Amino acid sequence: MIEKVLIANRGEIALRVIRTCKRLGIKTVAVYSDEDYNSLHVKKATEAYHIGEAAPVKSYLNQEKILDVMLSSGADAVHPGYGFLSENDDFARLCEKNKINFIGPSADSMNLCGDKMRCKDAMLKAKVPTVPGSPGLVKDVEEALSIANNISYPVLLKSVYGGGGRGIRLVTNDKELREGFETVTSESISAVGKSAIIVEKFLEKTRHIEYQMARDKHGNAVHLFERECSIQRRNQKLIEQTPSPVVDQKTRDKIGELVVKASEAVDYTNLGTAEFLRSDDGEFYFIEINARLQVEHPISELVSGLDFVKLQLDIANGEPLPFKQKDLKMNGYAIECRINAEDTFLDFAPSTGPVPDVTIPSGPSVRCDTYLYPGCTVSPFYDSLMAKLCTWGQTFEESRTRMLNALNDFYIQGVETSIPLYKTILNTKQYKNGELSTDFLKRFNIIEKLKEDLKEEKTEKSESAVAAAVIYSEYFKSRIQNSTQNNSTWKNKLD
Amino acid sequence: MDYKIEDVETAFTGEITENLGNNEYVIKINDNEYQIKLLTLDSKGIEFILDQKYHKVKYLDNTTNQMNLVIDNVPITLNMHSKFDEIVYKNSGGAVAGNEQLALKSQIPGKVVSIAVTEGDSVKQGDVVCTLESMKMQVAVKSHKDGSIKSIKIKQGGSVAKGDIIAEIE
Repeated sequence: MIEKVLIANRGEIALRVIRTCKRLGIKTVAVYSDEDYNSLHVKKATEAYHIGEAAPVKSYLNQEKILDVMLSSGADAVHPGYGFLSENDDFARLCEKNKINFIGPSADSMNLCGDKMRCKDAMLKAKVPTVPGSPGLVKDVEEALSIANNISYPVLLKSVYGGGGRGIRLVTNDKELREGFETVTSESISAVGKSAIIVEKFLEKTRHIEYQMARDKHGNAVHLFERECSIQRRNQKLIEQTPSPVVDQKTRDKIGELVVKASEAVDYTNLGTAEFLRSDDGEFYFIEINARLQVEHPISELVSGLDFVKLQLDIANGEPLPFKQKDLKMNGYAIECRINAEDTFLDFAPSTGPVPDVTIPSGPSVRCDTYLYPGCTVSPFYDSLMAKLCTWGQTFEESRTRMLNALNDFYIQGVETSIPLYKTILNTKQYKNGELSTDFLKRFNIIEKLKEDLKEEKTEKSESAVAAAVIYSEYFKSRIQNSTQNNSTWKNKLD
Repeated sequence: MDYKIEDVETAFTGEITENLGNNEYVIKINDNEYQIKLLTLDSKGIEFILDQKYHKVKYLDNTTNQMNLVIDNVPITLNMHSKFDEIVYKNSGGAVAGNEQLALKSQIPGKVVSIAVTEGDSVKQGDVVCTLESMKMQVAVKSHKDGSIKSIKIKQGGSVAKGDIIAEIE
């Protein structure tokens, strides 16, 4: 039985894990870098250990140092959260070797999930559809041509060493493919000194739909429904929701069965996520398994009524899943907005610094997972996710309007946030109608709409802003005396 | 006091016209008069009821001419000028009687929008010599004394720094 968990992470996810452990009477060990002395996870854990400098490689990615703390603190399990070491199979193996219960899949399974080619291969064998394309690396341009014609254009030429838009080319005919093959090869060689190309069908107007999966150490597996995460920027999710507007119960069951097969194909244990692309014609294609607890897990908790961290601990303890697929029913609708510290108008550049004041939204069916508190700092060393704002509703409209209320109530002073962007998105008729796709922001000119919305908001507030400015200057000329302290009747009414 | 809000077309004037006591005032914004009731007030922020509506404001960084505040979670930048032209005029030496100073100096940095006089023109104290634009506001620079324009030291469309000579007036 797990009695003491080290959380090899920081921020809101460390707090999320601590919360469940505390409830279950399990001791927690926090680790922190120079940058995180004043972070909430340090204050809330049973014990906290300093592990190094601010840069992640010197702290949250430092396996030896974290192992030292695990051994010296007597932790019998480690929760990796997401990011950092969560999908590092070397770390999982290091824990296994030292008899520390790694809360996640086995090192071997994780390694298989992380190897895109081997994983795709395992899925093909299990008859889980993947994006059509070459079964592996193509040896020359002639092979690429024959595959492209087989799966039909447009196709993507991808260097397996590429990423971030480099070493990738969209081609629509034989001539472009020949040219593209050369460019991708040379780009890849100039970047990493070698080239290995795969061919993949290019899918338009795709949606990103993923399934939560759970599998215990006895081979029992279920899926915990889907999440649609199509609203993205630079391939990173911004807004997630469940259920997906395009998944009916029949589809949910059908793809769900594939998800169970996928988890078996890689001998997955614990909670994980199978990600799919859904093309405009309704076909689902497996892309990858995320071998960890996802950022967006709270919305699945809201519609399933389960505590996923507890489920993770139980599975890690070797307990069988307490339910069968037929016992699981979805209840209502949930949305998550990832509140990032970033400037939408500077191409989502990070915005960091002290946060003197924060108001966290609340209300019926509003959940906010965050590390923010008045006086905290948003560090430039770690990712920009400050808070995960989730709302639940009996209907989609109820969850959407609750989210708009909560976004309006959320106030974060000192850094730029993605809150205004989300208000604009949630108010578009396309979002209301569920017309989602991974290019949503571009397709519906959201940034332009945001500019208009902000202007309108300012116009609406302009008279009261002028009043505030008048009072301010009068106050400093001492023409207005501050006697409002005595004005408790009004104050109390408003508090 | 005149106000211009970033991204909002309309310009505003605002002043307190009456103290009703008990932290209530009458405030005039453009041509409308409202009752305003202050609930809390300090240098960091204010809460008030304006025209039966509650507002919460945080004052962020402020300079003499610019004010950043957050009202009901909406960030607003206000450019202000409290009889700005007069201040510039005064600081140019305009308020001092019998001024012998030759040079009319700019008290603000800005872009020259227009020049109202040519060399040799005679001007009276308070006549507009040129118009500058600064922080999206146009400010008239007025002559600090009666006399004639000896020379003009600026060009239309050019920019001037604070303290630059605009014209010499004899």
